[in-house]
Amino acid sequence: METLSFLLDGFMVALTPMNLVWVTIGGFLGTIIGMLPGLGPATGVAVLLPLTFSMGPTAALITMGGVYYGAMYGGSRASILINTPGDGAAVAATFDGYPMTLKGRAESALAVSAIASFIGGVFATICMVAIAIPVARFALKFGPAEYFMLFLFALSATASMTEGNRLRGFIATILGLMIATVGIDGQSGVSRFTMGILELQSGIDFLIVIIAVYALGEVFKSFKNIDTGNVNVQKKFGKIWLSKEEWKRSVWPILRSAPLGFFVGALPGAGGTMASLMSYNNEKQLSKHPEEFGEGAIEGLAAPESANNAASVGAMIPMLTLGIPGSGTTAVMMGALLLLGLQPGPMLFQQQPLIVWGLIASMFVGNIILAVMNIPLAGLLVRVLSVPPKILYPIVLGLAFVGAYAISYSVMDFYLLVLFGLLGYFMSKTKFPATPMILAVIVGNNMEQSFRRAYKISDGDIGIFFGSPICLILFSLTVVSIVYPLAKGLLKKKASAVA
Amino acid sequence: MKNEKVFSFILTLILVFTMGLTAEGQKDASADGSVRYPKGNFDFVAPGGAGGGWDLTIRTTAKVLKDTGLVKVPMPVRNNPGAGGSVHLTSLQEKKGSDKIITVYSSPLILTQLNGTTDYGYKDVTPLACLIADYAVFVVAADSPYKTMNDLLDALKNDIKSVKIGGASSVGSMDHIQFLMMAKAAGIENLDEIDYISFDDSATAQVLGGHIDMFSTGLSEVLGLINSGDLRALAQSADHRVGTGVVAQIPSCVEQGIDETFVNWRGIFGAPDMPEYAVEYWRKTLAEMVKTPEWLDACITNGWDDAYLDAPDFDVFLAKVNENYKTILTDIGMY
Repeated sequence: METLSFLLDGFMVALTPMNLVWVTIGGFLGTIIGMLPGLGPATGVAVLLPLTFSMGPTAALITMGGVYYGAMYGGSRASILINTPGDGAAVAATFDGYPMTLKGRAESALAVSAIASFIGGVFATICMVAIAIPVARFALKFGPAEYFMLFLFALSATASMTEGNRLRGFIATILGLMIATVGIDGQSGVSRFTMGILELQSGIDFLIVIIAVYALGEVFKSFKNIDTGNVNVQKKFGKIWLSKEEWKRSVWPILRSAPLGFFVGALPGAGGTMASLMSYNNEKQLSKHPEEFGEGAIEGLAAPESANNAASVGAMIPMLTLGIPGSGTTAVMMGALLLLGLQPGPMLFQQQPLIVWGLIASMFVGNIILAVMNIPLAGLLVRVLSVPPKILYPIVLGLAFVGAYAISYSVMDFYLLVLFGLLGYFMSKTKFPATPMILAVIVGNNMEQSFRRAYKISDGDIGIFFGSPICLILFSLTVVSIVYPLAKGLLKKKASAVA
Repeated sequence: MKNEKVFSFILTLILVFTMGLTAEGQKDASADGSVRYPKGNFDFVAPGGAGGGWDLTIRTTAKVLKDTGLVKVPMPVRNNPGAGGSVHLTSLQEKKGSDKIITVYSSPLILTQLNGTTDYGYKDVTPLACLIADYAVFVVAADSPYKTMNDLLDALKNDIKSVKIGGASSVGSMDHIQFLMMAKAAGIENLDEIDYISFDDSATAQVLGGHIDMFSTGLSEVLGLINSGDLRALAQSADHRVGTGVVAQIPSCVEQGIDETFVNWRGIFGAPDMPEYAVEYWRKTLAEMVKTPEWLDACITNGWDDAYLDAPDFDVFLAKVNENYKTILTDIGMY
């Protein structure tokens, strides 16, 4: 009851005209920033920082929150329309979103993305009101061994993504893990594979690899027939909405992915990228027609979209309850809180209830505004597809380079971008799947470091990886997700052999 | 056809807009030699990512300078992160003589050179003033068996592998070194055998969850959790009590018989060979800034201790610190 009265107070704060304006502006800017490759919510919030100085802390937090989940709405637009994810959390939207576009179903893809984002965001906000503190406490049970098992589980998704060409998928995964080892190794302080290049000491940002492989790879691929014209150009556009059949197929994946995203988001260091990839893999395994995944299955888009939005809400939990940044974006938000004279930490809820509950209430309001704003916006954006490739692709290239530069303002990233773009092109020419490589680049470093942290803590006793119920559950899930697609493949072979 | 044109136009606009965003503060205006200074925008740079300690320091400095009217020209802040600040340090070498770039550094400026990350060090920038000090704090979970710093050090002396220490930076960098300095002062000799586990962002959740025994960090990083009682601070590394309230009750290492201090100073620097008039201007401006109530307020919120040193004293201080760190890194075989 006490919570509800706090929440009501929060709504009083969130619904003041000024704060409504801020959340709308924040959400709109976030959507735009999220659409641009490389510019994710962290950059968006950082760019807004100077602006927030002149606001009060509540308005500042509400605006930054709006940018954060606005970017989650916007992030997948470019994934769906031009196969160029705006940030890590939008990678999974390319898997089925872009194939849907290629099949002329961009309108449904954009609609389901907005709807799933909305449901994921609202669901996670309700969870936050109800169970923020217990979730934060539970997340603390994740030590290095548990994180290792979590990352291992995420990586096991590659097994189901490589059906058909397992050896090639395996090689791609290894390649990704190799890329992930570049940089200073925290546990020894030694530089690995940096070839004396200073910029490589912080490692290769997975966003560079993603932008390169998807955006540049796509451009290189279509380079050959760029002049022959309007093959892919869509002229007629339908309404941005879902058919009954599509809705039926999406609703359960959306509802299942929201709690998953919420929880993974609440784990410091895991975040929206992991959440969306895990939910994608989940749905593929649960689906009755997994063969449609990667070919434009609407479930494969609905699930990660719901998960990443829920994760952006979950990531606020460690920040608000413990003063620990759960993601890159919340780290910037925490910096902003300090600049505004607030001390994030467990006392924040007690000392500044109006600010915290105002923020939470604004998440409800903001998600509604964003959903309403995004559907007409999508109707406008979908017309990008009517731009002929010879105009569109140079723009995509430009955006890719600007986006890559925005990640760490380093010219070195341009070279990496071209290098990995070529790699992506040759991989697709030789039928090596890019997705397992991307996934390995994303989880590789975290997985390795978690393993070695755990190993150091246990003085080299491997038992630590099986020492807690969380570890055991995650390990069983990993085994299942590797064995299940294998077994299914074998059964099918047998069946066809009998027939 | 009309649609096509409109859309390519809109996309180009977005492109130009983002370029504007990312190119913010990148202009390298050279000094024209006139006495009118400052002229045009300053270029404030945090050598780390948004939200980190350097970022917070330089943004606070810019904000106070603006709010108090001490500097009237715009001071946009940009981030140039990478390799513990070394990426920015290297790029500064191409901006020799610039009077526009103002940046912030702290202990890693010295450590990264000593541990071999970069060839450049404190001699390759122009120190303007040391502003603040944060101190090391050694925290354990509220239910930890260790009640004092000596409990923990005694446990280490009995069994060097029995205590797992975590930090947010890699082996051989600040969180690691600050603890080793205390361990050495307490008479532990096999420093290289102490298990130090590096976490990327923060080990706060790890120490709260009991996965590591102790977290070696900066006082300002964990103020909230110390105040709430979720974390217990065994000791801080200043030579005096710092802060107010619960924080002021944290004993220093010196009080517990460990004769060593560690100061994570943060200071403001210019590009190498910064012109004399610019150095003069900033020494004067920063000396005034640290006396303003706005600055003092910011220090209290952030848990910063005043450690103001004018450029000449700062220079002497840096040389001394350099020798101290060298000794410890030699002990663990990293120098």
